Amino acid sequence: MLEIRNVTVRFGGVIALNDVSASFGRAVSGIIGPNGAGKTTLMNVLSGFVGTQSGSVTRDGQDLLRLAPHRRAHWGLRRSFQKEEIADDLTVYENVLVQIDHARAVSGSKQAEVETMLELVGMASRAGKLGADLSGFERRLTDVAKCLVGKPRVVMFDEPAGGMSVDETRQLGVLIQQIHGATGAQVLVIDHDVDLIREVCEETLVLDFGRRIAFGPTDDVLSDPKVKAAYLGTEEV
Amino acid sequence: MKGLFHVTPSGWAGFALAAFAVLVLPGISSSYWLSVFTSASCFLLAIAGVAFLYARLGMVSLTQVGLMGVGGWIALRLNYAFDFPFEVNLALAALSTMVFGWVLALPALRMRGLYLALVTLMAAGGLEILFATFQFPNGGDGFWGVKTGSSDPFRRPFLAQSAEDYLRYVIICAVLGFVFIELHRRLQPGRAWALIRRSEASAMAAGVNVTLYKTWAFGITGLLGGAAGALLAGSLGLLDDGTFRASESVMIFALAVVGGARYWQGALVAAILYKVLPALLNIWGVDADLSYVIFGAGLLHAVITAPDGLAGQALQGLRSLLRGKGRRDA
Repeated sequence: MLEIRNVTVRFGGVIALNDVSASFGRAVSGIIGPNGAGKTTLMNVLSGFVGTQSGSVTRDGQDLLRLAPHRRAHWGLRRSFQKEEIADDLTVYENVLVQIDHARAVSGSKQAEVETMLELVGMASRAGKLGADLSGFERRLTDVAKCLVGKPRVVMFDEPAGGMSVDETRQLGVLIQQIHGATGAQVLVIDHDVDLIREVCEETLVLDFGRRIAFGPTDDVLSDPKVKAAYLGTEEV
Repeated sequence: MKGLFHVTPSGWAGFALAAFAVLVLPGISSSYWLSVFTSASCFLLAIAGVAFLYARLGMVSLTQVGLMGVGGWIALRLNYAFDFPFEVNLALAALSTMVFGWVLALPALRMRGLYLALVTLMAAGGLEILFATFQFPNGGDGFWGVKTGSSDPFRRPFLAQSAEDYLRYVIICAVLGFVFIELHRRLQPGRAWALIRRSEASAMAAGVNVTLYKTWAFGITGLLGGAAGALLAGSLGLLDDGTFRASESVMIFALAVVGGARYWQGALVAAILYKVLPALLNIWGVDADLSYVIFGAGLLHAVITAPDGLAGQALQGLRSLLRGKGRRDA
């Protein structure tokens, strides 16, 4: 259970997150909302790049907000960025290895685990390719593999389907659904793509202007009139 | 996956060139050229350090020649104060300069780009004043160890008493420096640096302690600069503060970029331009300041056409040539 309690973030006069609370307990959960709703800010709070004015985030009895960003990674937090962060001059294999270099809890050999996860995302045959030579989708898959190594506890994806084709998005959705089974990690997905969220997320948090406007099972949330209003700007369609 | 000690074609070329330099170069050089090549090899090691920092982390250090001065000062100081063999002085000078590099890294952790370059340039300026004020030890009394008149003898390595052997010794040290950098690049630190250069946020998200790895890199740069300074002290037996001006640090950084910071060939080009070219102009009876014009032309050339430096451009050309040949053969 990932417990977010009363998190508030201000940037000067702007309230990016206003007293947001949610308990994510399912294998895959989603966070949606229009542009500027505070989705990425919430993810940055979780990974430690943005400080909070108040609130707490706990998982397994650990208050995540007390840890430095790199220590959260050691603890088992993984995240991808809107733009995949793959080093151009490292191979696919090395790009994944760099994540497990600093992981504390590794069962068996690091090399074997990297190979297993590259196999899972379907990049095993391209492990020796340099980051610079990869296509956008290959970079994204490598990024997913990075999030899976080193016994992750929570994996967060920030708009993973951005710039992907319909077919690639579908493949990515299937992959995201396999993560809990393969690693035991809880997954959080942020995206604009409501179809992807409906496909992979069991529960969803909806943010608008930094406030929680709905939280619960995905289908219920998506049919909520308030959510429709936030997305379409009218009460009913 | 390739092993840690896998030698690339470029690596073999480097070893072959080093073997040639060790076996042949000292035998065919006059005493003038022996001293030029020895000092070029010392600067090669220092340039390798500053190029490494720029290529791996994108950080600009304009203190490298100042750090050489620190290493040289410590080596001279130890030489006159104790009876240690040269290797001990060299190691202590390199390690102390590494610690100095760490101190220099403190501002680097908060600043980057132009601001970092300015901080390191100010450090170089400070060192320049210290060297000019206190001079280098030459066997005198007291902490600063400076006396007027001729300096006391400097103990060279047991294995390299003659100028020829000392050139070989310095070349081997420079090769070890390159191997040291390359091993780092292939191991955990190299991967962490690659990710830090990509973005610090992604490095932190990967569990990389950004502060630690940046400090580590500065330490390596200091270690190589300090070793280079101690070797230079061994070459001449004395050091002159004019060698370690802040402007020289700027110069070797610029030349490292002209040569190509990502390649050993680039550091070599930089060292040749910096030390061998002026010596050649001297012999030809041309004013050595002409080399500045050539440096400027090289810099313009690199900025306009060769983002990876002369070495990067030449290697790229060589690769496409080989590929074209392969296609014709097929």
